[in-house]
Amino acid sequence: MAEFSDWFKETFKRCYCEQGNLIDEKRFSEIVQLVLDNEADEESKAIFEEKIRTCVKSNFTFEKERSMREEIQNKLSTHNTEIPNDLAQTIRNSINL
Amino acid sequence: MSEEVLQDQEERGEVQRQNYSEKEKSEIFDTEFMPHVDSMYNFAYRLTFDEDDAKDLVQDTYLKAFRFINSFERGTNAKAWLFRILKNSFINEFRKKSKQPSKVDYNEVEQYYNSDDAGESITTDLRVETVQHMIGDEISGALNSIPVDFRTVIILSDLEGFTYEEMSKILDIPIGTVRSRLHRARNMLKEKLAAYAKEMGFNK
Repeated sequence: MAEFSDWFKETFKRCYCEQGNLIDEKRFSEIVQLVLDNEADEESKAIFEEKIRTCVKSNFTFEKERSMREEIQNKLSTHNTEIPNDLAQTIRNSINL
Repeated sequence: MSEEVLQDQEERGEVQRQNYSEKEKSEIFDTEFMPHVDSMYNFAYRLTFDEDDAKDLVQDTYLKAFRFINSFERGTNAKAWLFRILKNSFINEFRKKSKQPSKVDYNEVEQYYNSDDAGESITTDLRVETVQHMIGDEISGALNSIPVDFRTVIILSDLEGFTYEEMSKILDIPIGTVRSRLHRARNMLKEKLAAYAKEMGFNK
């Protein structure tokens, strides 16, 4: 997770203007992704959480990404193709187990 | 890993070669490999779009896994190891004889998505409510329509729950590339869903 520590800091800085307002939503969504994927380190997560607690626009972007992700994941995971009944047995037979 | 790569890794001593007994091999196969057969089939099907091809690909993967079982260290991440074999089999052997039309080269697409004007074309005009109205079939269709290398990262991350580090090993790409490719892949999926929603009048 520490791999993205520098990337996070650099990207986060570029998302906001001097007054601390979110000015680059597209870049911010990359940060949101890292956090939602649980790949941000503790320090980065703390910075992120503080920001979405105090910035309405950042919080809105985060919630939108999170809901969208959940919705897509749920629908994709319940839409798996049917597994052939004989697959496991065919595999076992092919290696004489 | 293709068969050649597995063989090379063993010969070059890159993997700690085990010396399992026949009983141990059978136990590892049953307790560590077979529990992943459903995930493997779903992954194979999402790569090939064909039930028979997916079945062949999974069978081929398990045959290789058994053949090179001494390269697998018991108790390590069997699912990631199997997915890596399957992905490489698909790329090195299967894609060549696939019934599917040739896929877009991801480098080409990645280059496009890295270009300055790419950001302009990425629509964010997709609302959560719109996706809520869609069914799994429609979202699966959108996922299936994006290039295979981008589709793969979404499957590995969002459906199979692999970490970036695991994906980096499965796909043989740097971890930073996993992050950026995943971001682009998700944008592509959103674009497809937004286009579909527009077509179907969901956004009205």
